[in-house]
Amino acid sequence: MIKPEIKDFIQNKETIIIKGNVATAYAAKSARVQVISAYPITPQTTVVEKLSEFADGGQMPGTQYIKVESEHSVMASIIGASMAGTRTFTATSGQGLFYMYEMVHWAAGTRLPIVTAIISRGTAPPWNIWADFSDLISCRDTGWMSSFCATHQEIYDEILMSYKVCEDYDVLLPKFVAYGGFILSHTSKPVIIEDQDKVDAFLPPLPDEKGWPHIWISEKRPIMHGNLIMPSGFYSEFRMKIHVAMLEAKKKIKTVTKEFEKVFGRNYGNGLIQEYKMEGAKVAMLIYGDLALQMEEAVDQVREEGYKVGMVKLRHFRPFPVEDIRDIAKKVKILGVVDRAIAFGSQTGGPISCEVKTALHDTQGTAKVIPMMNGIGGRQVTLEQQKNQLKTLIKFHETGELPKDMIFGTYWDGLLEVD
Amino acid sequence: MENGIIEITFHGRGGQTAITASQLLTQLAFSKGFKDTIAIPIIGAERRGAPIQAFTKLSQDKQIKTYDGVVYPDYIFIFDTSLLDIPSVKATIKEGVKLIVNSQKPIDTSNLAKNIKVFLVDATGICIKRKFMHSSGPILNIPMLGAFGKITGYYDLKIMEKVLKKEFGEKKLEKNMSVARDAYESVKEEV
Repeated sequence: MIKPEIKDFIQNKETIIIKGNVATAYAAKSARVQVISAYPITPQTTVVEKLSEFADGGQMPGTQYIKVESEHSVMASIIGASMAGTRTFTATSGQGLFYMYEMVHWAAGTRLPIVTAIISRGTAPPWNIWADFSDLISCRDTGWMSSFCATHQEIYDEILMSYKVCEDYDVLLPKFVAYGGFILSHTSKPVIIEDQDKVDAFLPPLPDEKGWPHIWISEKRPIMHGNLIMPSGFYSEFRMKIHVAMLEAKKKIKTVTKEFEKVFGRNYGNGLIQEYKMEGAKVAMLIYGDLALQMEEAVDQVREEGYKVGMVKLRHFRPFPVEDIRDIAKKVKILGVVDRAIAFGSQTGGPISCEVKTALHDTQGTAKVIPMMNGIGGRQVTLEQQKNQLKTLIKFHETGELPKDMIFGTYWDGLLEVD
Repeated sequence: MENGIIEITFHGRGGQTAITASQLLTQLAFSKGFKDTIAIPIIGAERRGAPIQAFTKLSQDKQIKTYDGVVYPDYIFIFDTSLLDIPSVKATIKEGVKLIVNSQKPIDTSNLAKNIKVFLVDATGICIKRKFMHSSGPILNIPMLGAFGKITGYYDLKIMEKVLKKEFGEKKLEKNMSVARDAYESVKEEV
């Protein structure tokens, strides 16, 4: 492994209009990632295009860009680079993530602070390239942390915050930062790119030649890694410690989010969730990803009509903010949960609504949860639709009446007619 | 206009640079001091000549929070008059909308919605005259945006110069500006 020399590359704070994918590339650049390995896949492609442009154009002087033949090799090479003690980055989508899946487990099992952007898309068949978080959700039990972004700015900010959380010696876990394909990846919006020296001061220093505290390889120091462990060995203990580290990481996520706000002035709630107009609300919606931003507008407009509704944006899927959701559910009477991903055959069909129900199971006097599904496979969700979703909750609160066409207890919005 | 947000739809054919136009428009408006902008391309299996659609939303003073497509646009760009024969395109033209049409001659508005305003600019002609072409034809976005600046007053040629210089560099600036200026000066309302 060649340790690239880090030259000074200062860029002043600037607001530029860019696609979500370009914001991702800028975040990797601002974080001074040392190794990028990537394989293009729609809708992630423009991330790697922009990164290779940066690397080739001398704008990322400390970065080695590795071209590989598949996503499986992407993660394998990133794992190697991270084990050698470097800050690493990659991005993928849908089928690419599935091809990477085996190595995804290896990254978490090795406790490597790898950050990966997931530009979420529907799972084939039928072939689908549009926003749907089922790809990310399929990595639920891999040991990776994961979060959702609602805006272009949040993509940039969340990637920076993620490095700070992942590289904390009490955490040392990889993390997915996910956002909806095309909806965020290919639309253009103003994004603030921060001063390089400010980002440098915010992030932990790049790992030195001794790498991470628990693992370090180099050509002079070969080690064997990941060999067979008998059931009597420490396997269960390794797994338990990943679980505990991820739950402990909640604290770190909260402090990093607070610190980020202090340094850069942008608020992301407590990091795990972000409340919006919850004052006096008896009816609220829990929602994640790009749909959360549009739901804010829906909440504003429904409030103007005189209904006290609120919204909670779920920022992290893993670790799951159980305590925060319990607190919310104690304050409101009705809690709608909107999913843009499917958990086939589960209680509600929506992965997040299932988690929410589980989180509330032991707690008395919490809100009634109404699971909702929409936007699967990138189907457009309009502002009007989201206002109606809020009104469905209000109607249930006032009259106890739910839509007649619920499917096994879940409200599917915007479906076409099928036999 | 929904909630003070100006909404614009772009109709073009693959290769006519309509998607880039939707993105450039956000840059122009932002440079002029609009607070928030978003460009939304509709992406599928595009190819040269296929009908494509894009949207831009502009806001003077508040954050734009929607990602959905535009249903009731304030302005519609028509990069190719043959698109007006397609029912799905025609359906986007609602009462009271302003059209910016790339055409030499007046268009037939008798079977379109009522109270629409049509602005004509011969963008193709301008590109041919100025040899402003790429591999599959004229680069229509710059003249179309030049015309739009004149009609709306959202930005002028000075702003265009600043943005085009930043986006495409000094070397191509003169040519870019020549087509922008031609369109800015020649766009006229159909009466």
